Amino acid sequence: MENVATHEDWKVCFSELAPGLVLFARQWVRSPADADDVVQEAFVRFWRRNLSIKNRALLYAAVRSAALDLIRRDNRRARREVEVFGEAERTVQPQFEQLDDSQRALVAALDRLPRDQREVLVMKIWNELTFAEIAEALGISQNTAASRYRYGLAALKKTFQPQ
Amino acid sequence: MNEELESELKKLRPVQPSPALVSRIERVLADGGTSGSKVIWPERFRVNWLGLGLGLAAAATFLILARIDFRPTEKTKQTNVSATPSLQQRAAALPNYQATGLTQVVYRQHDEGLVFPPGAEGPSRRVRTAKRETLRWRDQQSGAQLAVSYPTEEVTLIPVSGQ
Repeated sequence: MENVATHEDWKVCFSELAPGLVLFARQWVRSPADADDVVQEAFVRFWRRNLSIKNRALLYAAVRSAALDLIRRDNRRARREVEVFGEAERTVQPQFEQLDDSQRALVAALDRLPRDQREVLVMKIWNELTFAEIAEALGISQNTAASRYRYGLAALKKTFQPQ
Repeated sequence: MNEELESELKKLRPVQPSPALVSRIERVLADGGTSGSKVIWPERFRVNWLGLGLGLAAAATFLILARIDFRPTEKTKQTNVSATPSLQQRAAALPNYQATGLTQVVYRQHDEGLVFPPGAEGPSRRVRTAKRETLRWRDQQSGAQLAVSYPTEEVTLIPVSGQ
């Protein structure tokens, strides 16, 4: 795919996608600094390969890959991430702006979802990817992506009632 | 119900990326591929080239000053030779000793099957025998005894005739 995007296009692209990308990265690395590093590495890698700016599935796949690489980079770090992730899974919430009580409850419910359902929800809701793009990014079928999304919403419904 | 929940989720807005990340990405994009590596890592990931260079220089200086030479010298060669005297040297050193016996203990015999030795008229069966031989000497003057024991391996080719 030939990339004809200009420098300004990439800047706009990043400013639009960055909040969702950072949120997506934080599914694996809970530290905001690590999430920043992951997003930077993935975005730069994506840009350097001259991929189409519109191919968001590959961009999210790159973020996921960079996050996993960061975790695997050394065993001690991985263990620490797993420990922190395990402990923090039910306590640390994804970063959202200006939450009221109802929204905090919703975020807490979201945080309790299994990771595979949560990542699909994050990609679908806040990054507005299609199921085809999600499937491509995660290496799963579209049906699986759609199922995880439905299961995720169903699980959220059980624990959260909109006010 | 799903739409209502999705609507609630969409009201949550991910926080904006950190200014540091935006700045790093903008620098990379502005660089536009002129530098060798477009990834700008935070300070904590940078290699201290000055320290590394000074360390290597110090190591090189030490090697030069210490004049470390790993090749064997004549002195070490002689030491090695004299450390393992031959049997002739031993016999010359013990003129009064006379051989009194040889013991061979077979502790393993393995038939390796038929082989066709070059130049032989027919096939042979190769039998490998592992033994321990013990040689004994006796000093005729003092009656002192000396024994040397060592493992040996013998391969025997036993001609076989076709039936």
